[in-house]
Amino acid sequence: MKLFVNARYLIVPVSSLLTIFGIILGGLLAWVGVFLFGVYTIIDTLTKDIHLRAEKNQDGESYGVKEFQYVVMYIMLPVFILLQIVLAWRLFQFTSGVGIEPLQIGVLNYQTGITLTNLIGATLSTALWAGLGIIYGHELSHNKKEGFFVSRLIMALSGSAHFTYAHVYNHHLDLGHEDDPATAPRGRNVYAHTWLSHAGQSKFSYDLEQKKLRKQGKSTLSFKNKWIIGYLYSLPSVFLFVWAGGLYGVAALITVWAISNFLLEALNFMGHYGLIRNPGEPVEHRHSWDNDNVFTSWFFIEIGRQGDHHVRGETYFWELDDVGAPNYGIGYFSLFVLTLIPPLFRRFVKKLLNDWDKNYATDAEVSIANKFKALGIQS
Amino acid sequence: MFNLFKKSKDHIADIETNSNTIALKVEKGKTLLNAALSSGIAWPHKCKVGSCGTCKSQVLLGDIKAQIDFGYVLSQEEIEAGYVLACQSELKSDIKVKIKLIE
Ligand code: FES
Repeated sequence: MKLFVNARYLIVPVSSLLTIFGIILGGLLAWVGVFLFGVYTIIDTLTKDIHLRAEKNQDGESYGVKEFQYVVMYIMLPVFILLQIVLAWRLFQFTSGVGIEPLQIGVLNYQTGITLTNLIGATLSTALWAGLGIIYGHELSHNKKEGFFVSRLIMALSGSAHFTYAHVYNHHLDLGHEDDPATAPRGRNVYAHTWLSHAGQSKFSYDLEQKKLRKQGKSTLSFKNKWIIGYLYSLPSVFLFVWAGGLYGVAALITVWAISNFLLEALNFMGHYGLIRNPGEPVEHRHSWDNDNVFTSWFFIEIGRQGDHHVRGETYFWELDDVGAPNYGIGYFSLFVLTLIPPLFRRFVKKLLNDWDKNYATDAEVSIANKFKALGIQS
Repeated sequence: MFNLFKKSKDHIADIETNSNTIALKVEKGKTLLNAALSSGIAWPHKCKVGSCGTCKSQVLLGDIKAQIDFGYVLSQEEIEAGYVLACQSELKSDIKVKIKLIE
């Protein structure tokens, strides 16, 4: 059981390595990352009705092995770096005009050089899996100094090192309220949320640093400013892509960052869409949506157990459980596809929000929900 | 490799509360707040991730290992006076700590 519980969280590490391998081999295999994303969407949809509880031994302890899970999470930093390096290497081949020839290395088909179409595949593959760095960036943002630092570096690979501070000091404190840019209010779509949440969290992180440095009598414009340092951590990616691909490199990096940040903000969007917390009241299970069908749970290292996570923020992901939080009833992949079509998503979520207003919300929260309804925003 | 994570010894926190002093064993790797809560001590808390400041307490003696930078939540004066966030503090030595418990 111990082996199974720990190994099941390796879907993303293994898939990231396959994506890297696909880009290295080239040809159509450069699309492996996109292909896997599609396959996982289908598996997630097919397993939407299978929900498991956190497994525990007779003493009530989780089977998760902290040392193993931490080693995996830390190793994901070099894996995500390698993902960017192999894309940059392919960009370099493309812009230097390396000829396209198939080579047989043992049983493997390696293609020297890369076509524009396959370069697009490699870029999309990189973007999707870089975006999944959020699941490690998120988990590590809650744990110890070194974990927090690794979280910052993983997020910096997507130009979002500010996330680590904003998530802990803003989102966990102000969840379900307009002071939290990561909570999507009713009526907002995922595209608008991506911009608003990203900019709002970055601004929060800047203000947080400014306040702290002022308290310490230091200048905001200094290397003590973690907001500035966070963006500096992203510079190696910029240099790498510009050096490797010039304008193509810039376009590729913009694509990688745009898609990976879109995935990050889509997770924020789905985690709390339309839920309301009366300011000053404690964060309870009802202020988050759970997405905990079996595939989502294993793939996203239990990040979908948002209800439990927001009440026990210090808890390791493998210990999180179903706590009776409101539940979408489908996994993140399937829900993500719905969010891409806002009218469809709002129709889907309307019944769920009505149920939330009726069965979960306090009177004060219902009266805030009614203000949205008075403006014609039902879901 | 796993030696990196080897457990060292636990420490004792002498907790000065509003009414009495409680001796609490804090296992290596556990935060002061979690150790207190698992022993049934009504230590005030809210977020448990170091952002709200509710678990703030004053360390009078001994050393703690801060899991995050307290500077975002506590003022410079508070930090200098030994205030810590219990939800983000592991013990480096035996300590004496003062807290107003929930009544
Ligand atoms: S419980 Fe919120 S800072 Fe410790």
